[in-house]
Amino acid sequence: MAGWNIFPMMAAVVVLLSASGAVVALRCKERSGVAILLSALGIATMATFIALLWLSLERPPLRTMGETRLWYSFFLLIAGLITYARWRYTWIMSFSTLLATVFIIINIARPEIHDQTLMPALQSVWFVPHVAIYMFSYALLGCATLLAVVALVRPALQLDHAIERLLYGGLAFLTIGMLTGALWAKDAWGAYWSWDAKEAWAVATWSLYLLALHASPSIMAYRRKVLYYGVIIAGFLALQMCWYGVNYLPSAAESAHTYNRE
Amino acid sequence: MSIGRVGHMGAVAVAAVAVVTLIFEAWIGPFPVELFRFPLNVLTMALWLLALGYLYRNRTTSTTAQLLLSREATYLSLFILATTGIALGLELRPSTDAWPVVIGLLFVLSHTVLVVLRGWRNSNGIRWRFTITHLGLLLALGAGFWGAPDREQLRVAATSEPTNEAFTMSGVLKTLPYDIALADSRIELSATGSPMLYEATIRVEGQNHTLRVNHPYDRTIVEKIYLISFGTTTTGERYAIIEIVREPWQWITASGIVMLIAGAVLLFARGPRRKYNDDNQ
Repeated sequence: MAGWNIFPMMAAVVVLLSASGAVVALRCKERSGVAILLSALGIATMATFIALLWLSLERPPLRTMGETRLWYSFFLLIAGLITYARWRYTWIMSFSTLLATVFIIINIARPEIHDQTLMPALQSVWFVPHVAIYMFSYALLGCATLLAVVALVRPALQLDHAIERLLYGGLAFLTIGMLTGALWAKDAWGAYWSWDAKEAWAVATWSLYLLALHASPSIMAYRRKVLYYGVIIAGFLALQMCWYGVNYLPSAAESAHTYNRE
Repeated sequence: MSIGRVGHMGAVAVAAVAVVTLIFEAWIGPFPVELFRFPLNVLTMALWLLALGYLYRNRTTSTTAQLLLSREATYLSLFILATTGIALGLELRPSTDAWPVVIGLLFVLSHTVLVVLRGWRNSNGIRWRFTITHLGLLLALGAGFWGAPDREQLRVAATSEPTNEAFTMSGVLKTLPYDIALADSRIELSATGSPMLYEATIRVEGQNHTLRVNHPYDRTIVEKIYLISFGTTTTGERYAIIEIVREPWQWITASGIVMLIAGAVLLFARGPRRKYNDDNQ
């Protein structure tokens, strides 16, 4: 069964198709069907690889950091395509493809152990929804952050609508991902919330995005908008801490979330 | 009173409370959570809700109510949650019973109660998304906050000999109203030697129950029994570490979580309220 060994080849096809879609989108002033088709083919190729990996591992490929990066690249491409198809920002797929490519390259450069073992703590009905929903939210919020950075640099561009829509979608999935984790934690450890480092950073991330959501960019003066974009970017930094940054803290050794550190 | 003056008073009040909580923390140590066990926690909560109800009724004349209902109070609540998360995440104060955290969470809950009272309906009827998300947050956070003193976590070293001796996490001996004995235990390893399954069968109140990770035994509606680990003593006897968690408020927390998930689905489905020029594209 094809597994991790075919990833570089499949990844090359994904990057080629997605990058071609991004270039076509950049060259067209209007929404391009060809760009959408090429990007969709790239996403379909990535989906095929994930399905093959799932079959070869005989477990959901959501356990290791490398596997979560794989899903993140996949969902970033989807979020970029949705944003392009809905709001016609010709440059968004260039950013999302570039970011997805970075994560793909990290996965090729740092191949990790991808054995069939699914440790007892991960044998739960909550495992797949919790991680997959989280990864999708990370991708949507990643796109929102990209737009916030562009909005800071080029205030003349009208990006607030897209930022707010992505923020609503990303925060909705972030909330569901966090709470499915809480329900799982009650079954696994006896407490919905234990405030270990990962959970503490999850609250920080969630609160920062909620802070941005409670602001109203459509009625703000630019000076306040800078603060709004800043909170979105701070939320994304907290998200990085929650995802993998906690692994570098001293408390990581005692954390209950040790399964994704390989 | 002008909004600017109210805002200044609010800033001064927040700064004063922050300083007082820090002094308390340094002077008398962590908040005495244990003191607020049932029924004192329920009594205190009832008084707190009555006080908030009184404040809400006088919101047009009360400066405190205006401050607690302001947009700035929302920002401050979320700022408190974010900084609590960051502080705990960085282990600046690795405890949730620190005075600043307890008072900060009480502020967040107070603000949420008043906001729900004000906003659950408008002239068009009930605001479902708003009400479900905010009430869900209130139930989940509130049950965790007020119910924390009633939560019990006990550990038992179960062997083939029945025992009713359990220990709290701080090592205090407690007597269980029933015996626990280990009937059987099993580990399955993969070809690489990694554990694939931990399983223990325990005997409680005359019946066998199988425990696995993620599969506790629900002894009562508020008590679950978990398998933590197992092994063999120096004399060759097998034992299992069993954890008993009694959490009377758990169903309120669970209801809040389910409401928040439903609210998140509505958040995604309906999106922002504000309309932009490209909404109909």
